[in-house]
Amino acid sequence: MIIIKDLHKSFGQKEILKGIDLHVKPSEVVVVIGPSGSGKSTMLRCVNYLEVPTSGTITLHGKTITREVNINTIRAEVGMVFQHFNLFPHMTVLQNITLAPIKVRGMSRHEAEQTAMELLKRVGLEEKADARPAQLSGGQQQRVAIARALAMHPQIMLFDEPTSALDPEMVNEVLEVMKALAESGMTMMVVTHEMGFARQVADRVLFMDDGRIIEQGTPDEVFNHPRETRTREFLSKIL
Amino acid sequence: MTFDFSLITSHFPLLLIGALVTIEITAVSVAIGVMVGLFVGVAELSRYPWLRIPAKIYVDFIRGTPLLVQIFIIYFALPIVLGMRIEPFVAAVAACSINSGAYVAEIFRAGIQSIDKGQMEAGRSLGMSWTQTMVHIVIPQAFRRIIPQLGNEFIAMLKDSSLVSVIGFEELTRKGQLIIASTYGSLEIWSAVAIIYLVMTLSITRFVAYLEKRFH
Repeated sequence: MIIIKDLHKSFGQKEILKGIDLHVKPSEVVVVIGPSGSGKSTMLRCVNYLEVPTSGTITLHGKTITREVNINTIRAEVGMVFQHFNLFPHMTVLQNITLAPIKVRGMSRHEAEQTAMELLKRVGLEEKADARPAQLSGGQQQRVAIARALAMHPQIMLFDEPTSALDPEMVNEVLEVMKALAESGMTMMVVTHEMGFARQVADRVLFMDDGRIIEQGTPDEVFNHPRETRTREFLSKIL
Repeated sequence: MTFDFSLITSHFPLLLIGALVTIEITAVSVAIGVMVGLFVGVAELSRYPWLRIPAKIYVDFIRGTPLLVQIFIIYFALPIVLGMRIEPFVAAVAACSINSGAYVAEIFRAGIQSIDKGQMEAGRSLGMSWTQTMVHIVIPQAFRRIIPQLGNEFIAMLKDSSLVSVIGFEELTRKGQLIIASTYGSLEIWSAVAIIYLVMTLSITRFVAYLEKRFH
């Protein structure tokens, strides 16, 4: 589904990604862990070109993403959920979800609203359709953000630390939605510090440090039998 | 010293006509200025140099030269280049609009830059183009935020529009001058003119405060 080859990314003199190779299969849930500054988020943001890679290629469904191909059509296939939700504060929940399907997919308002209501039901927020983002809790906002991304019927969903900005008591409601999504067969790449989620839901766990993938494997392999010293050090600090 | 109130009352209708003309030229100029300013402000943030650089030059030039000189250029200098006379009203509106556009552009630019960049990223990540995201997401939020500054710009323009009196355009200030030329009532008429300006600017301040409340 997604093939990343020799991905490098520098910001000025500083090289953040030092050669990433990764192949994500359909319906696979890949959870990326690692210390902050290790390049996890940057890698994720390169997948939909929010960051333009310095070198290397990313292929989605056989189509290599470059600046020349229409980046907007690719992005429409790649859903993204941000740490800070980034809902549109001047719109209702319903408008947040229907905007892109109407503007990008050319969907009728009626059809878009129907889809939106189904998605809101799926994330347990159908009664909030007419609320403004500011009237919702953080957990509710993030569930709306997930519904908004799903409304484009993406092939893959990217989650960039989706629970890091939440109060502890709201983390679970978001993780539950993500878990259900994974069980429905969605292909997912998740950058997170929630090790419980990684153990439970991941098909594969990647450990990144200093711009490289240091180790990867099933949750059992990475968490219970880490091969690399750096992985062990990181896990001993957070577990 | 005597203060002859009858001078004011007898010329009040004339002054009111002048005030209406002042409001008219201000409203038209700021309306055009907002349209120009929106376009130029967005252009200043464009990644294309051929949009960004001319926008920057325009803003720098207008903000770096006095409005009075800009009025002279349009009314006296431009006709030499064009080989045709320009009506005072056209010259006045053109000068004020072009001037206002530059200030409004800076207001929009700052307003757009004050919107969290996650908003643009969220729009782009959904497959919307830069322009679509600007139009539907960033600009509507920026617009709400800059209402007070746009109000200030309106007030500044209302006062600065008195400068077009120098080309004989009969707005409030010019009307005052003309009345004084025939009555010698400097004290009474300039006092009346000042108070009419004050009433207009205070009304706008109130109106903007009301708009601000409604949008928040």
